Amino acid sequence: MRDRRAMFFLLAAAMCLLLLPLAEDDSRWVTLGVSFTYLVLALASYLDFRGRR
Amino acid sequence: MEDVALVFVILVALGFDYVNGFHDAANSIATVVSTRVLSPRLAVMWAAAFNFIAFLFFGTHVASTIANDVVVQEVLTIGVIFAGLVGAIAWDLITFYLGLPTSSSHALVGGMAGAAVAVGGFDVLVSEGIRKIALFIVLSPLIGLAVGLIITVVIAWLFHRVKRLDALNKGFRRGQLVSAAAFSLGHGANDAQKTMGIILALLIAADHLPAGADVPLWVVLSAHTAIGLGTLTGGWRIVKTMGSKITRLQPSGGVAAESAAAATLFATSAAGIPVSTTHTITGAIVGVGAARRLSAVRWGVAGRVVWAWVLTIPGAFAMAFAVSLVVRALA
Repeated sequence: MRDRRAMFFLLAAAMCLLLLPLAEDDSRWVTLGVSFTYLVLALASYLDFRGRR
Repeated sequence: MEDVALVFVILVALGFDYVNGFHDAANSIATVVSTRVLSPRLAVMWAAAFNFIAFLFFGTHVASTIANDVVVQEVLTIGVIFAGLVGAIAWDLITFYLGLPTSSSHALVGGMAGAAVAVGGFDVLVSEGIRKIALFIVLSPLIGLAVGLIITVVIAWLFHRVKRLDALNKGFRRGQLVSAAAFSLGHGANDAQKTMGIILALLIAADHLPAGADVPLWVVLSAHTAIGLGTLTGGWRIVKTMGSKITRLQPSGGVAAESAAAATLFATSAAGIPVSTTHTITGAIVGVGAARRLSAVRWGVAGRVVWAWVLTIPGAFAMAFAVSLVVRALA
């Protein structure tokens, strides 16, 4: 069984990274920040998932 | 004659703002109504009041972005702006009829772009502004989702030892009044400013204001009045989708979703980025559901919402393009 929530968050992080070329200098940090947040959420979700098993 | 046309198109722009409030009223009040904190009638009055007073708290950066950063000023005429508005309103009404929570904001951007391209080709689009808007089409729901999820987890962590659940729920019901007010404030700030931007562009196009002028106070007040009145008379078709079909919300979830969406709207309004209030609150509601487990979110409905997002700009673009050609032929 896989943690689908963590995979969803990883997908969201990847989507943000794919959007980086669209971002101007002043909004680049927002794109990176959201991507980083989703990476952290994916990790937290995975740890939660493993803890429950 | 040109002044008559100008007044007419300003009224159409305010009509769009009214439709925006009407269409998006569901976003402001869906969670308050679905958690039975307020009756539908009181909820719309609450939201409309905070829509109106938003002008006291935020500048007009979003208005400036709409007026200057979507299409080049030279191509903007009263006819082009009229065609863009008609395209956006038509798209909003179609999606409203179908019960899809689409975005009035992106309909407006798509409409303006379509009407301008019909006259001057794709070169008239301001790529920097369009790129920023496109970026935040995706980012705003993702930010809402992440913040909604984080607030939900923090609330659960802070209150998980509380035994008196009735008292806790009562507290969150009261809290939802504040979070719904904050969201309505953000909705009024971001969405009313789009209409201000259109009217500003009209006044510049008709040489009533110089390029780069600030938004006159009467424009600010009339835009907030129109969106407030729209919310006051808002429709109910979308409330069901937003309030209960995406995920079942408790009062604490309502507080988390609205606070997350409000925070996102405050930040983007301050930065002058026009975002969709619908996208933002939908993302936040999904975030609240996903904090429990992914299966708590009804992804079928969320998927339909995403399709509506994808179709909004091309749909409004195509309609405004056609209207612009007709206006040009008649002029």
